[in-house]
Amino acid sequence: MQLNRILGIALAAPALAFSLVAAAQTLRIGAINPYSGPLALYGDEVARGYQVAVDEKNAKGGVLGRKVELIRGDAGNPQQGIAAVDQLVTRDKVDLFIGTYISAVSNAASDAAQRYGKIYWDTNALAADLTERALPNFIRVGPYAPTFAEMSVRTIAELIAPALGKETRDLSLWVEHEDSIYGKSIGDAQKKLLEARGVKALTQGAHNFRAADLTDVVLRTKRANPDVWVITGYVPDINLLLKTAREQGLKPPVILTVGTGDTQETLDALGAEFLEGVMVVSYPRPDISDQFGPGASAYLANYRKTYNRDPIAPQSLTAYTGMKILLETVEAAGSTEVDKVRAAAARLDKPFNSYPSGAGVKFDDKFQNARPGVTVIQWQGGKQITVFPEQARAAGVALKNTPRKQ
Amino acid sequence: MDNVLHILVVGLLVGGIYGLVAIGLNLIFGVIRIVNFAHGELVMLGMYGAYLCYVTLGLDPYLSVLLVVPAMFVVGVVVHRLILQPLHAESSMQIFATFGLLILFQNVVLALTRGEGYSVPSKLAGLTIAVGDIRVTVSRLVIFAAVTLAAIALHLFLQRTLIGKSIRAVTQDRQAAQLMGINVERTFVITFGIGSALAGLAGVLLAPIYTLAPGIGGNFVLAAFAVVVLGGLGSVAGAYFGGLIVGLVEAFAGFYIDPELKQAIWFLIFLAVLVIRPTGLFGQVGAEEIGFREQG
Repeated sequence: MQLNRILGIALAAPALAFSLVAAAQTLRIGAINPYSGPLALYGDEVARGYQVAVDEKNAKGGVLGRKVELIRGDAGNPQQGIAAVDQLVTRDKVDLFIGTYISAVSNAASDAAQRYGKIYWDTNALAADLTERALPNFIRVGPYAPTFAEMSVRTIAELIAPALGKETRDLSLWVEHEDSIYGKSIGDAQKKLLEARGVKALTQGAHNFRAADLTDVVLRTKRANPDVWVITGYVPDINLLLKTAREQGLKPPVILTVGTGDTQETLDALGAEFLEGVMVVSYPRPDISDQFGPGASAYLANYRKTYNRDPIAPQSLTAYTGMKILLETVEAAGSTEVDKVRAAAARLDKPFNSYPSGAGVKFDDKFQNARPGVTVIQWQGGKQITVFPEQARAAGVALKNTPRKQ
Repeated sequence: MDNVLHILVVGLLVGGIYGLVAIGLNLIFGVIRIVNFAHGELVMLGMYGAYLCYVTLGLDPYLSVLLVVPAMFVVGVVVHRLILQPLHAESSMQIFATFGLLILFQNVVLALTRGEGYSVPSKLAGLTIAVGDIRVTVSRLVIFAAVTLAAIALHLFLQRTLIGKSIRAVTQDRQAAQLMGINVERTFVITFGIGSALAGLAGVLLAPIYTLAPGIGGNFVLAAFAVVVLGGLGSVAGAYFGGLIVGLVEAFAGFYIDPELKQAIWFLIFLAVLVIRPTGLFGQVGAEEIGFREQG
C-alpha cells in the first residue's frame, strides 16, 4: 500500500510538472459545444471554425508569444455544460472558454466558468437572456435572437416589399414560429418591429416543432392568404411546414425562413424546384463578397485545406470570426484575466464589414456585440445565394422567382 | 362547411398515422404487459431502414416494406429473446430494459448519422389528389389504407389462427393458458416480433413525410401511448379508432382553436377517459389490472 502510494507520487510528479510547464507555454481555450448527441453535427462544425482561426494564429506565432490550443468540452445539456467546465478547468487548466451552439448550455456553462473566474466568450448562442444576465465574465460577439428578428424585418421592408411592388405597411404577413423560447422571442420581436413600421395585416402563429402534423398551421395560413410567410423554427418543422404547404397548395408570393432552412437537409427534403426563391435569414455564408466580409474567401480556402470539404453549415464562419476577435482581444488585453479582457473588449470599435462574417465589433453595456454579421440567402437553382444586405451580394446576383410563380 | 370536411379528412389521415404507430404498441402492451418505451425507436429504425434501402438499392420506400418489415420482425424476436425474456420474472426490469433499448437505438443511429437529417424521396408519396378544395397526399392515403388493412388482418389473425388464439389466451390469463399447454414464452416472442414488424411498417410509410432524425420516434410515441389508453389495452379496434379520435381532435383543435394547444386538448380528453372509463373505449373490463395481479 505504502509502496504503491510512493510509486504513484513518484510517477505522477514529473507528469504534473510537465503539464504545468506545458500549461504555461500554451494558451488553452476550452470550447464548449455538443460533440455527441443530436446536435453534434453543428457543435463539431462550430469547433471547426474555431480550429481554423486557431491554426491561422499559430502559424503567425500565436498569441502573447504563446501557442494556442483548443480543447473540446462535450456538452449537450446544461448539466453536461457545468461538468465540462469543471473538467476543463481542473484537468486541462484552460485559460478561458469559448462556445456555444446551444443557448441553454451556454447559460449553465458560463455560470460555472464565472465561479472559476474565467472568461466565457460566446460566438453562436442566440437566446437574448444570456446577455441580459449581465454576468461579468460573459461576452457575446456573435448575433443573437433580436439580430435575426431585425434582419428579417429589414429584409421584408428593403428587399421583399419593393420586389412585390408594395409599401411595407400594405403587406399582409403571417409570422409563424416554433413555440419554445427561441422561436417565440424572435416571433414576438418581429411582430413588434413590423407593427412599428405600420404593418396592419399581421397574424402570429405558433407550433410545436415536434408535432407529427402541421396541416392545421398550413391551412390557417392559407385562409389568411399572406403576401409573406415568415417562419422561425428548426430543421424538421420547417421542412414539414414547407412540404405540407406544397401538398396543400399554399402559395404565398414570398417565403422567408429564419435561423435555418438553408442547409442540405432542407434541399434534400424539398428539392430545388420548390425551394427556388425561398429566402432564409441566417448566419453569413462563406460565399459573401470579400467587400462585405473581408477574409471570407481566405477562410473558405483554409477550411477546405484543413478538412477536405466545404463547410457543412454556415455557423462555422461565425464561429471562426468570433474566435478571431477573441484572440485579438486577448492580445490587446495582454492577459486572459476577466477584468483585462473585458476592458479590452469594451475598447473595441470596428464598423460593420470589418471581419470575415461581415461583422464589426462594438459591445453594448451588457457585452452584446451590437454589430454582428447576419445575412439573407435565396435558394436559386438548388444553391444558397447571398442576396441581402446589398453589399454582401456578389456581382450579377438578382432575386429569382420573387414573387413565387402561382 | 368545406373547411369542416377538409379538417375531417386531415384529421382522419393524421389519425391513421397515430393508429399505425399505436397498433404494434398496443399488441405488446396488451399481451406481454410490457410498456415498450422503445416502440418509437422501432418506428425510427423502420424509417432508417427505408432510407438504407433507398441509398443502397435505390428502392422506393413503398417497395422497401417488403424488406424492412420482415427485418423488423427479426429485430423484435431477437430483442425479446435476448433481452426481455431473461427478465420475464421481473416486469419492472423489462420496462427499464425497453428504456435502455430506447437510448441504445437512438445513440447507435446518432453515431452512424452524426445527427444529419435525412430524407427518403418517393415519387408516389408526393402526389396530391384534389377533390374541390380538399387536397390529400398519396403518402397519407397509403398510411390510412395500411392501418385499416393492418387492423383487419391483425383482427383476423387473432381470431382465426391457432397462434392468434394462443396470443388471446395469454392476454386473458397467462397462467391458465400455460396450464392448457400453450407455450407462453413462444407466444411472447412472436407477439413482440409482430409488434416490431408493425412499428417497422409505420416507420417505412412515415419516412417520405418527415425529415429523419434519431429522436423522431418520440414525436409519435407520446400520442401512441394516449391512443392505447384511450382505445383500450390490448384491443386492435381500440388502437385503430383511438388513433382516429386523437387525429380528429388534434386537427379540429389545431385549425379552429390553436395549433399550439392541440396536444394539451387531446391530453385533457385522455385524462378524462382515464377517470371515467379506465379500461379505454374498447378495452376489456379489468384488463388493465391483470398485469398487477400477476406481479403481485
